[in-house]
Amino acid sequence: MSRRRVLIIALIALALLGGGAYIRINRTSLASAAPVQPIPFNHRVHAQAGVQCLFCHSSALRSDVAGLPSMQKCMGCHQTIAADREPVKTLTDYWQRQEPIHWQPVNTMPDFVFFSHQPHLGAGLGCEGCHGNVGQMDIARQPVNMDMGWCLDCHLKQPSEKAARLVDCLLCHK
Amino acid sequence: MKRLSRRDFLKTAAVAGVGVFTGIAPTVRRVALEPFVRPPEEELPGRATWFASTCRQCPAGCGILVRVINGRARKIEGNPAHPLNRGKLCARGQTGLQVLYNPDRLKNAVRQTGGREPRQFKPIQWTEALDQLVSTLNGLADRSRVAFLGGLVPDHLVALVSSFLKALGAPPPVLFDLHTTLEGRAEAADLARRWFGKPQGQVQGFPLPMYDIARAQVIFSFGANLLETWMSPVSQSYDYGLMRQGQAGGRGFLAQFEPRLSMTAASADKWIPVEPGTEGLIALGLGRIIVEDNLGHVGSHRDHAYLYRNVSVSDIAQASGVSIETLRKLANVFADADRSVAIPGGYLAGLSNGAQTMDTVMALNVVMRRLGREGGVFLPHQVPAEQFTSSASISPFSEAQSLIERMKAGQVDVLFIHSTNPVYELPGWAGFVEALDKVRLVVSFSSFMDETAIWADLVLPDHTYLEGWGYQGVSPGADRPAVSGQQPVVRPLYDTRSTADVVLALAARLGGQVAQALPWSDEVAFLEQSSTQLLGTSSGIYDARTPDGFWSRWRQHGGWWTEKPLRDEPEVSGMPTGPLQVSPAAFVGDPQQYPFHLALYPSLALTDGRGANQPWLQEMPDPMTTGRWNTWVELNPVTARSLGVHDNDVVKVISPQGELEAAVVVYPGIRPDAVAIPVGQGHSDYGRFAERRGSNPLSLVAPLLGQAPGLPLQWAATRVRVEGTGRRQELARLESLDGAGREKLR
Repeated sequence: MSRRRVLIIALIALALLGGGAYIRINRTSLASAAPVQPIPFNHRVHAQAGVQCLFCHSSALRSDVAGLPSMQKCMGCHQTIAADREPVKTLTDYWQRQEPIHWQPVNTMPDFVFFSHQPHLGAGLGCEGCHGNVGQMDIARQPVNMDMGWCLDCHLKQPSEKAARLVDCLLCHK
Repeated sequence: MKRLSRRDFLKTAAVAGVGVFTGIAPTVRRVALEPFVRPPEEELPGRATWFASTCRQCPAGCGILVRVINGRARKIEGNPAHPLNRGKLCARGQTGLQVLYNPDRLKNAVRQTGGREPRQFKPIQWTEALDQLVSTLNGLADRSRVAFLGGLVPDHLVALVSSFLKALGAPPPVLFDLHTTLEGRAEAADLARRWFGKPQGQVQGFPLPMYDIARAQVIFSFGANLLETWMSPVSQSYDYGLMRQGQAGGRGFLAQFEPRLSMTAASADKWIPVEPGTEGLIALGLGRIIVEDNLGHVGSHRDHAYLYRNVSVSDIAQASGVSIETLRKLANVFADADRSVAIPGGYLAGLSNGAQTMDTVMALNVVMRRLGREGGVFLPHQVPAEQFTSSASISPFSEAQSLIERMKAGQVDVLFIHSTNPVYELPGWAGFVEALDKVRLVVSFSSFMDETAIWADLVLPDHTYLEGWGYQGVSPGADRPAVSGQQPVVRPLYDTRSTADVVLALAARLGGQVAQALPWSDEVAFLEQSSTQLLGTSSGIYDARTPDGFWSRWRQHGGWWTEKPLRDEPEVSGMPTGPLQVSPAAFVGDPQQYPFHLALYPSLALTDGRGANQPWLQEMPDPMTTGRWNTWVELNPVTARSLGVHDNDVVKVISPQGELEAAVVVYPGIRPDAVAIPVGQGHSDYGRFAERRGSNPLSLVAPLLGQAPGLPLQWAATRVRVEGTGRRQELARLESLDGAGREKLR
């Protein structure tokens, strides 16, 4: 093959690779099926039992991340409650080995976004506003593609004195 | 050239497209989320907690703040409130995380089975290890046959170990390592004691003199690499900045006297490449000119004239190679300034006339009345609590030697070794390895399997400093009395145990006098009690109504210091009675056979070699040569030409004691009659990043006059010769070789 041909093919491949990567990045954050978890944790059962979101994801009010409950917190209830169920037995095994469970993230955002839960909850937003009705999900999944358009949909609807600040690039891309 | 047809284009595009959509595309990395098994108290996921603690990468004792997220230490910064480093931190301090997370750390206690040669280490339970120690100590007919050899040991552990040994009836701990040897710490304390000590005052533990760099107008540094590794480099660099910015009225002037252009010399206004061993003569000559010509604005020098009675400036000019005119000019610069100070550096201590040289340098300060004056010489003001005034003092080399002698004579049955690595750090002729053979039980508290730990019967790893407790008296001090507090920022990662707790547990198990001398349940109880000795001190930055309150503020601030600067004016009590003398320095090796001086210097990154297992430090280029990851030999271009070697040629450096091979760095910043080699590489053990990399230049250091007793380790008194090997080894360097290609840039 001539050099020019190689060059052209390389350029086309590069462009397609770039495009593919772009599509793929977006596709992974599309509302998608629930990831496979080490333990099939059932949000519906817990919500029906009256457990509040913030009981387990307790740092959402005070921190950037909502946080996952510590193993100690899980065992606080499951020492006695439903201790004979298969998933709880798996949990107990982890606890006895003093090993953390490696959960798969459900709601993902690219790492160039500096998202914080705290101001959103502070503004009076409920959990289900972004995460959907998790209380109706067996295994948690991401209900909506959390891309910039979706963020801005909401930010632009805010009162005008707030909107100017809320659409500033540096608010989320630091 | 063939044109790309439309058909070809489509074919290629289709192939590439299929590739992209079948997975030859970058994927977004998915990471698992790991919850706490048991969350630390008050931990808020995603929010950083900052802990105030103390850096332990060198003896300076800088205050640090450690950023901890989700129970993991992430970043170390200087503590802005700490009076010593004032928010700054050096590269070694920043790298502390790689001590904590080092993959080669010992994860549990081990014992050596099958003698000391085959290196068979088996894990051992802590209870079992303690049982073994207790039964060995109980089985000793004579408990004075216990010894402790420490290096960079935190002050609280020195205090506990000293009480432990005293109660046992054993000699006090020996604190000796290569870092403090290279900076001449014991000798600097000795210098201060000679000049400013009370006749019947403390023999040991005399505070180090402090030089007010920030407010000086003229600084003459005799081999003190004060911006690199000497004493308290972060604090001194900060002060150097203030000095340059003209806090004291006008930009300060720094002159550096040393055979090799160090980074400090490169930052100085004037570098005087003196012949090794003649630094004292130059100080003597400067003093003579000042006294003779009655220079300066401090009145008559008649009282001090006797110090320089028999000095001939022309002889000095001849011996040192510094011309009379230069000496006169320098003497005028030093004397004309209102605030000038002369600093005796560390490598002077490695010369046979080191003590005399340091005396002549200090005499310049005395003659110019620089004691206790702004920009002059000070002594630290004592911390007003007994616990912190008896802070650890570094043992001179003679004490390490006498320990080795005792070991060789079979007078030591149990030897404890903490944070020093004598097998690597001492020249082979010191005989440490042979002496170890005669010790029944060798216990190392090292976190790593270093050259010394592999000879130990028991290795009981201490916590690393980010996991452990402690305190450190700041010496040489800040501008005020200060104690740096150390506290854990993370839970211990592995099954390690604090050595202080091991000592306390041992004491409790031994019972009797020993248990009475160490009544604390654990080291935290001891620290809490020690800290509250300062409760109710009005001069501190904080106080509290209760001991608990005081202890919590201690941890919040990361130690204790006074609100206002407070330093002591030294009073000269040990004025020399006769003229100052500087004998010619003695060197090992016949100048005909060994034409070059061996100028060792501590690596800025690895210091005495303890940083060699931290890859960030290995990667850090030397500021002058930009070399890294290896040992090199610095040769003057003239010398290199005469030897017919070039950059990256491997040469053999031969001393009367030993030899090593390393690549050449042609370096214009060194005297043609000297060869410089950085210390720090050449580990045979000490983890994957340190091992089998470069050579240890201590193997070249020869004993001067059989290393006469009482002398410091004469590490700067060896002569060498250099031979080409005909081989080349590309040295990892950040920049292109000096000079090469630059001519084209013009």
